[in-house]
Formats: sequence, C-alpha cells, structure tokens
Amino acid sequence: MDSSETIVAWLTGQTAWAYHGDSPMASEPAALTALALMAHRQSGSSALDWLTDLQGADGSVGVMLGQPTPAWTTAQAVLAWALADRHAGNKSLRYFASAARGTDWLLGARGEPLERIETTGHDSTLIGWPWVEGTHSWIEPTAWSVLALKAIGMSQHARTREAVRLLVDRLLPDGGCNFGNTFVLGQQLLPHLQASGVCLLALAGERIDDPRIGRTCDYVERQLNRRTATASLCFGLLGLAAHERRFAMAGPLLAAAGERMLVRDRSAYKLSLVALAARAEDRPLTTPPPERSR
Amino acid sequence: MTPNPKLPKSFTERKAPPRAFDPRSFKLNRRQVLWGGGAALAGMLSYPVVRDWFRPHAKVFIARNQTYEGSLERTISDGLVAAGIELRSLAGKRVLLKPNLVEPNRQIPHMTTHPAMIVAAAEVFRRWGAEVNVGEGPGHMRDTEQALVESGVQEQLDAASISFSDLNYEEVVWMPNRGAASKLAGFYFPRSVVEADLLVSMPKLKTHHWVGFTAALKNLYGVIPGIKYGWPKNVLHHAGIPETVFDINASLPKTVAIVDGITCMEGDGPIMGSPKQMGLVVVGTCPTAVDATIARIMGLEPTAVSYLQLAADTLGPVASRRIDQLGERWEEVASPFQILDVPHLQQLRRPPGALVS
Repeated sequence: MDSSETIVAWLTGQTAWAYHGDSPMASEPAALTALALMAHRQSGSSALDWLTDLQGADGSVGVMLGQPTPAWTTAQAVLAWALADRHAGNKSLRYFASAARGTDWLLGARGEPLERIETTGHDSTLIGWPWVEGTHSWIEPTAWSVLALKAIGMSQHARTREAVRLLVDRLLPDGGCNFGNTFVLGQQLLPHLQASGVCLLALAGERIDDPRIGRTCDYVERQLNRRTATASLCFGLLGLAAHERRFAMAGPLLAAAGERMLVRDRSAYKLSLVALAARAEDRPLTTPPPERSR
Repeated sequence: MTPNPKLPKSFTERKAPPRAFDPRSFKLNRRQVLWGGGAALAGMLSYPVVRDWFRPHAKVFIARNQTYEGSLERTISDGLVAAGIELRSLAGKRVLLKPNLVEPNRQIPHMTTHPAMIVAAAEVFRRWGAEVNVGEGPGHMRDTEQALVESGVQEQLDAASISFSDLNYEEVVWMPNRGAASKLAGFYFPRSVVEADLLVSMPKLKTHHWVGFTAALKNLYGVIPGIKYGWPKNVLHHAGIPETVFDINASLPKTVAIVDGITCMEGDGPIMGSPKQMGLVVVGTCPTAVDATIARIMGLEPTAVSYLQLAADTLGPVASRRIDQLGERWEEVASPFQILDVPHLQQLRRPPGALVS
C-alpha cells in the first residue's frame, strides 16, 4: 500500500475531522476530506452528512462544532455538496437542498468595500467575501466562494464575475499573492504560496489575458522547489495543475508530506489536502470528478 | 481605521463594564501613612511628582551586547529574577511562550522572534519545573506549519523537544473584554492561552507602519485565533487597532514580557523594514512599562503612542519616573529607529534631548 492509499484508508475511517489531531471538529477539514475521498472514488458521505447537520437555519456552515460564526466555511461545504451530487451521477439530489441553502447564504454575504485611499494598492471597492461578516473582502474566502459558485453552475453570476476581478486585482505585479493586500504605504507586499495556490484554483478556466497569472504559476513553481509545509505544498500543486502546469517532483514531495503527517500530526485537514494534491491532474476542485466505476 | 458598526453580534454582544485602575489595589505601607497624614497627604497629591510616588512602579530589565549565539538563558533568567518573578513558584505551572511569527520569510529573519530566544526562554522556565509550551497564531499566514518552517522555529523546537500550539485553530473560549476601549464585548481566546498560568509575550522589537512600533502589547494580537477573526485578524482592525491592543492585554492579566531586541527592524515594519542591530534583551513583568521603555529606546515618545495612552495608569506605568530601570539604563542604549516619513508616524518622534516623559 503506497502512502496515498494509506492516507485514503485513514480518511475513510474518520468520523471526526479537525485541523490537528487534538483540535475540535471543524467544517473545512470535513469538506476537504469529503472532496479528497471523492477524488479517490470513495464515498465522502460521512463528512458531507455531518456538514449538513451543522448547517444553520440561514444556510450557513460555521467554522467548527459549537461555533456557528464566522461562516466562511460555507463555501467549502457548498463546493463539497455540489461535487458530491455530480459525482454520484444519475441526477442525484441528495445534497441539493443543503447546497442551495448554502448558496443563498453565500450570495447574501459580502465583504465591506472601503473607500479607495493612496495607502493601499488594491481596489478596495471591489466586493468579494470576507472571513468575518462586517469586514473587508480577502483572497481566500473570495476564492473558495468562486469555486463553490462555479461548482453549483453560477460561474456567470454577477457576484462570481466581480469576485474574479477582485482576485486578479490582488495579484502582485511579479506574480503570486499576499493574503489580500498588494501595496501598503507604497511598499509591495510578500507573496504567499497557499494564498497563491488557492487564487490560481479559483481563476482556472477564466479567459483572462493578464501576465500576472502566468507569473503566479512561475512563483508557485519556484516556491515548490524549496522546503514547504504540507498545506502550502498541496495548494501550490493544485493551483498549478488547474492551469495545466505539472511539477515533476510532486509525487515524492507528497509522499514525504503524507508520511510526516501520519506520524507527526494526524490532521484530517492536511492529510485530505495531500490526497487531493495526489489527484491534482484530475482537477478535483475545479471540474466534476469522473464517474464512479461500478 | 474607523470602527465598523457591522461586525457580527457574536463579537459585540454582552458588553462588559470597563475596568479602570483600581486605587484599592495599591496599599500604603505603615511608614508611608505615618509620613503622610490626612490633610497634608491630600494637598501633596495635587503635585504630579508626589502623586506618582504613591502610584505603582514597575521594573524593566535591559541587557546589552547580546547575541543569538550567546548566553541567552543566563540573561533571561537574570532578567526575570530582577523584574521580580519568583522562579521557584513556577514549578508545575503551565507557561505559554508567545513569539512573533506574524508572516515569516527566510529572507527577512529580522521580522520574527529568533528561535534561539524562544528555546532559551523555554529552557529557563523548564529548569524551574514549569510545563512549557510555545503558541502562535500567525496573523498573515493560514499555514502555520509554513510559518514555523520559514522562521526556522520548527527545527529548533524539535531539537529541544518543545511542544507547539497552533493558536489559529484551537478550541476557543469566550472571555469578557476587561478593557472595553473597543466595542468588542469579549474575545474568543484559544484554550491553551486561557489555561496558561503565565503567558510570556516574546516579541521582536520592530517599527510598525500603522501604530509606530510593536513589542510586548501588540504581539498579543497573535493569540487571537484566525479561524474566528480571519487572516488578517480584520475584526480587530475594524474595532480599532489601539483599542483592541489595549483590550486584549487588559483581558489577559497574567502576562510578562521577554523582548528580542538583538537584531531589530526599522523603517517599514512590521514586515518589510530593514534590520537594525541593537543587541538588547528586555524583560519585565509589566508589558506596558516594557513597551514604554522600548519606545524611548527607539526614539519615540511613548505618551504619543495611541495604545500606550490607553494603557497608561490602567495596565501599568508609562512615565519614566515610575519605571525602575534594572541592568542597563535605557538612555545608555537608546538609538533612534528610522520610521516612515508619514505624518501619523512622524508625530511619534521623541523631541531631541528629551530624556524624561
């Protein structure tokens, strides 16, 4: 059994999904576990059903058990539910209602626009999604929401289009993206691997003629040639693959990361990312997974 | 930034009453009472210098000529003892070290607390029988493991067998806001922060392009969990940076400070600034007094720094006459830091020649 199979077997047996072995059950690890299992042609129903149970009356999915707010994780839940129904085929509607309610909540949530000022470089009037209601739009929650809306078939919705413009606006001139800003007080900020990978995922399939997207892929490749942590490695690989870029050392790096996580920190969050990245070329977060073999 | 009225109720409900400085916590000793006398004392207290004599003082220890390869354990131990920590009392206690790993980058090691400082502090507390844990919730990086790799802290913690808590993703505990300078009714703190018997703020001494500088007080932004507040912890920004710096510290009273002032950051801190060699380690049991002293060392006027204005006489003393200097005197090690040429920072500049404030 190779490390990928070991990880999938471990994920299959999980009934508690957390960021770390000793942290509380949380929505994002559950959604990613379901997506990872589906990418490996396994059922993610345990995690998907738990997310359904966690969903609030307003359609939102809070970040962790006992914490209904903030609910930026609603995007990952909607993505997982939508892809699960597609994955099941035969016009499955098992998670349709949950996904629809989650989508309604997403469309009602919005980052707070700010007046454009000289001290910050990005277009602060563009509206995406915030981490927390009542605050500004940032790259990762916006990117996850774009992925969710595309999965539900709303890639041309006005909110999706504006969010894509926001993501492109936040790309750094030399490629990559910071957690959200571009310039502050005239100083260009640092790019980050995870944020860049997630942003590339959301921009996959977009017909945008902007050299910063290619530069972002170049930045991600350069970073992957250095020592990186598990989540950053996986999002980097997923982002590259979504733009049809292959990274030759992906296999050994993922195997090492997976083995490290199995020994050190049995994190459903990180192990599901390793499993997803192992199927990066299938684009498990940006296109419907292949039909399940019967 | 203007406080935002649209923050969710979960952050703003259940307002706690403000906790002002309680004069009952200060007890006059017998000699002071006899020396004073009723009416005479009341009259004398109208003079600021005399009034300050009766207010609580704090001790701040400064060591110079320090290096990351040097005897940091000895320096930190000496500093803690000088500042009044009874190290024997720490046996069996849970000590949480909170370094600054806000956005680590291999090319900018002067942005983050040096691993040697963290390990040295851990060894000091462990030697006295404390159960030591390192915790951080990086404010600008979702991938905490990446922050540990980039900063070099992971390797050092592994080598020294020191545990680490990812404060961004832990179980959270609601605690009322005991400062009440912002409209936040309370804070969701990670469990390991709440359960610690002693929280040790271990900042890197740096300039900060919004609030002037960052040290012991501002460093505690990093105990706020990203999973509840975002990356950046934008809820705090919308509630006001100075106000929330004050409120967080007011809500976490069992805090001491050990400051990495060896290779510091000046200019466009806290991320993109330039290195500035200072060779200092600063230790104190009152983070407000530590920060006031650091401001003076950096050439900033502490009474002009917004969060120190809030903290003064509430969380601790800012006036230099109420801070007992131990080790080196700050006047001997002061070296003005470059700050950005923008009005909100330049107004923090300490007037040339001013040695008392």
